Amino acid sequence: MAAQTLTGVNVPPAQTWNYLRINDISLELPTVVSKGTVPSRLPRLFSQMECGLGKEAVSWIEASAGDARYVEVPRGTTFEEPILVDVASDGGEVHDLGVLLREGASATVVVAARGTGTGAAASSAALVRVIVERGAHLKVVEILSVGDGNQHLEGLGIQADDDSSVEIRQYALGGARRAVGLAVDLAGKGASLRLDSRYLVGGHDLLDINHVVRQRGRNTRCDIVTQGLLEDAAHKTLRETIDLVHGAKGAKGNEVETVLVAGDEVVNKTLPVILCDEDDVAGNHGASIGSVSPEQLAYLAGRGLSEDEATKLFARAILDDAAIHAPEGVSLACALERAEQVLGAEIAHDAADTLGLEPTNSEDEEASA
Amino acid sequence: MADQLLSISGLSAGTEDKPILHDINLSVGAGETHVLMGPNGAGKSTLGHVIMGDASYQVTSGSIVFDGQDVTAQAADRRSLAGIFLSYQAPVEVPGVPLYSFLRTICQMRPELKTSARKFRERIARISDQLDLDESFLTRELNVGFSGGEKKKIEMLQLLLLRPKLAILDETDSGLDVDALAVVSRGIEAYRADCDGALLVITHNTRILERLSVDHAHVMVKGRLVAEGPASLIDEIDAQGFGRFEGAGEKAEA
Repeated sequence: MAAQTLTGVNVPPAQTWNYLRINDISLELPTVVSKGTVPSRLPRLFSQMECGLGKEAVSWIEASAGDARYVEVPRGTTFEEPILVDVASDGGEVHDLGVLLREGASATVVVAARGTGTGAAASSAALVRVIVERGAHLKVVEILSVGDGNQHLEGLGIQADDDSSVEIRQYALGGARRAVGLAVDLAGKGASLRLDSRYLVGGHDLLDINHVVRQRGRNTRCDIVTQGLLEDAAHKTLRETIDLVHGAKGAKGNEVETVLVAGDEVVNKTLPVILCDEDDVAGNHGASIGSVSPEQLAYLAGRGLSEDEATKLFARAILDDAAIHAPEGVSLACALERAEQVLGAEIAHDAADTLGLEPTNSEDEEASA
Repeated sequence: MADQLLSISGLSAGTEDKPILHDINLSVGAGETHVLMGPNGAGKSTLGHVIMGDASYQVTSGSIVFDGQDVTAQAADRRSLAGIFLSYQAPVEVPGVPLYSFLRTICQMRPELKTSARKFRERIARISDQLDLDESFLTRELNVGFSGGEKKKIEMLQLLLLRPKLAILDETDSGLDVDALAVVSRGIEAYRADCDGALLVITHNTRILERLSVDHAHVMVKGRLVAEGPASLIDEIDAQGFGRFEGAGEKAEA
């Protein structure tokens, strides 16, 4: 298959020295095959939204997907069933979704990118853009386990209007090369974002993340908590930018990353940035990089866990957490499949059994629909 | 005295740059309840952590024998598996680890507690009920965002799950309101009734002892055990304070 190189993927709003090699990532992707002249079904207002990956990557996804799916949640309504983006990574699927949450509406969007990686290496992608109108509530759960050998691009762009709230849980659990972009525009006053991002990277896998939150509205609130475990010769780059834009009086932004490094050849890069062009704001960032803290180790040892077992607990915790927060069957199956690969079948299904979680697969869901 | 479970002889310990405990001798029999009291900064919590094997402290002399084994040089995880449990005064937050994953892991690694997911869930449900704990706690991160009372209940939950031979309760009652204290006391009572384990209760507050039958009381001042006696010693301290023991601590130091 012909390939093309995408450069300038996951570029943060403010860059640093080039020699640090943290400003972007380049990806080898299949050359786009024309899907004909089917026009995108997404309204034009989605076309200018950021999603963290960068314009070139977005163009590649849009062209590769060929068409987009559009969902509108009417004013004041709640979608009980999550809006699901089920990406079969082994088949190199590419999905493009636009969601418009009207005023006071509420919905959950789930992205489950899953694969085994046992066949020829494939490149999959998902692009999700959501407009959250005044007072609406959006929850997004992304579970990415695309299989060893596979590559995946994930872009999520959100625009949040007055008094809306956005809650995101992002789990990057497996895959040879993953580029994850996220851009949230807290445009309206009182809009809020809570982002919990978890990652697990082992072997020689690469994970590249770019989180961008622009706080433009007054009294907006952003809390980002990123936690991860790096093993073997994993390579991870995390760029996390909170941009407190002029006029965002009373805005508060916090970002914190805790990464556990458990491999001699791990490459771990983090670029936490707070941009500030307003006086009356508060921005904090912190990072804890290294091993489990001595206090935590002492506590866990007091419960019978050696340092090695404590590290394994953190891996299990990330996978259990993904299963616990998977809101429907496909994403739960995705989390459990990865847990099986990392922890073995017995432990993987233990949490699901104990907590009464019941996995299904997409075929079951289609059959029941 | 019952069969000796814990025997501490001539123990001195401290941090890298500060000696804290001096020549401690203490024996706890299987199934006994001991109370350790003393003024603030006496070294009571340090003794609890040293018995547990906390690597922040170094033993400079003496020995700790537990259940017939010299554990002085043993790491904390081995001591835990052998049956020692320390309930923390300020339980540590472990972000990113759901309580469920933690509890399940620490139980499954003990052959005597290994069980199926269904039975584990039933056990958790039973104990949670005893402690007025909502099972939704299981999916929350370990001790993260919990109130002081909730953290202590989680410590009690672990105590009842792990069924240790010796439980050291380090000021488990501190910072608890009346209702939370009643729940924690119920937890301790349940531990005594169900597990018949030994207790070393470190406390300032005699209310937590009201529902316990205390076998021995010890007083620590300035890192030394300066008095030992029956349960009536607790009432004396309650009425008169530590004043008369502080002189003994100074004398021993001199």
